[in-house]
Amino acid sequence: MSDDGRHGQQARLWISWLVVAVLLGYGVVQTVITAAKLFTH
Amino acid sequence: MLSALDRRHTVAPPGYSRWLIPPAALAIHLCIGQVYATSVYKNSLIAHFDASQTAIGVIFSIAIVMLGLSAAVAGTWVEANGPRKAMFVSACFWAAGFLVGSLGIATKQLWLLYVGYGLLGGIGLGVGYISPVSTLIKWFPDRPGLATGLAIMGFGGGAMVASPLSRQLLSFYDPAYDPSNAGSTASGSALVWLFVTLGLGYFVIMMFGVANVRVPAEGWRPDGFDPASVAAKPLVTTANVSAANAVKTRSFWLLWVVLFCNVTAGIGILEQASPMIQDFFRDNGTSAVTVAAAGGFVGLLSLFNMAGRFVWSSTSDVIGRKPIYLVYLGVGMVLYALLALVGQTATALFVLLACVILSFYGGGFATVPAYLRDLFGTYQVGAIHGRLLTAWSAAGIAGPLIVNGFLDAQGEPGTLTAAAYRPALFTMVGVLAVGFVANLLVRPVPQRYHEPARGQSADEDTAVERSGTR
Repeated sequence: MSDDGRHGQQARLWISWLVVAVLLGYGVVQTVITAAKLFTH
Repeated sequence: MLSALDRRHTVAPPGYSRWLIPPAALAIHLCIGQVYATSVYKNSLIAHFDASQTAIGVIFSIAIVMLGLSAAVAGTWVEANGPRKAMFVSACFWAAGFLVGSLGIATKQLWLLYVGYGLLGGIGLGVGYISPVSTLIKWFPDRPGLATGLAIMGFGGGAMVASPLSRQLLSFYDPAYDPSNAGSTASGSALVWLFVTLGLGYFVIMMFGVANVRVPAEGWRPDGFDPASVAAKPLVTTANVSAANAVKTRSFWLLWVVLFCNVTAGIGILEQASPMIQDFFRDNGTSAVTVAAAGGFVGLLSLFNMAGRFVWSSTSDVIGRKPIYLVYLGVGMVLYALLALVGQTATALFVLLACVILSFYGGGFATVPAYLRDLFGTYQVGAIHGRLLTAWSAAGIAGPLIVNGFLDAQGEPGTLTAAAYRPALFTMVGVLAVGFVANLLVRPVPQRYHEPARGQSADEDTAVERSGTR
């Protein structure tokens, strides 16, 4: 794989995992906020 | 045009990172996992259509039944055409489901919602669920449990994303809607825009998966991986079995029973979670657990359901598939019995027991593709997985039926106590015992079902077509 190809793949890896992390992170944080009500109510 | 999405055009070039495949799979599963968040807008749909709970609940049921059917029927097609085309088709069906559904809401034609979200969306669900499985297993022959656990964790995570997102979008499109008030319902136009937004948004995210997914080149293996190290483990085969032959084996049906029992027991708790925790701590007609706290409990269960998919499936790579199912089912039996006998003594104990049970439920889903790989090889593991998912559809009917059947006989909702749950929970112990025995009986697949050696490699497309015409 050429240097350009390697750099392109690195960028693709970062973007892909970032999209997943943002989506999952949003879901987990929102769910933790909801779950916290179990201990505060 | 779709030929550009074919398997032969998606073979990875040398040096392609296999770590691009899990996020591609997650892009699909995080979107289709939305199906478990339909309760968020259920009351708004009931008000908009002036329909009964059952009439709206049918939308979800059609989608789940279509998931099982399309996964079973389209499994061989997915194997033959590769993950990219399957993911693309799934994205089209899933997005079309939302768009046709929005048309149904806008025109107040409920049947369009059945056809859209239920039928079309359900096909997108089934094809999408199985589309990345065999590809992940081929990219991660050294850690198949971890790879499929990551993807199937996304299905659990999808509901966690869609629930708050749908509430926030409905509030945005209809400022009068108050998601914190259980009696508040969103307007029809807000529902239409919610469906349009979700349909288009999910299509874009799923295209990330379509763009990144690749199949490994023939003979590719990870650096330092020795296939002999995997084959040396008990129950792991180096042979391959076609989907058509797999369903003729005893092990396939034993595994079907294992999945059915594990899912039936988990769904029993999941479906009843919110009223269950309130009923367990009810004294003199009043529950010590508030409605908000019960909602928090449901959120906590979602987290453990999702985490269990990754943690337990990855653990199965180390201790083996059969032993991990002995844990899910055997320890699950003990936990269910404890829940029935001492669950009402302390909230913390009740929550702990239920959370571990739900982590086993998620783990059961996520570990099964790797178990199938061990027994039947990688040749048509996606198609075999699709056929096995009919156990999920069956358990989706059996689990709630068992729990609701017992509870209906015990009294009215809102008046039940922990004692009312005991018959249902002990029945679940029995269900898990059946699964435990079935798992113990799983044996390697007899050689007469194995594919001839030449059919295992070379031209996979041809091989798949050949087995499909048998």
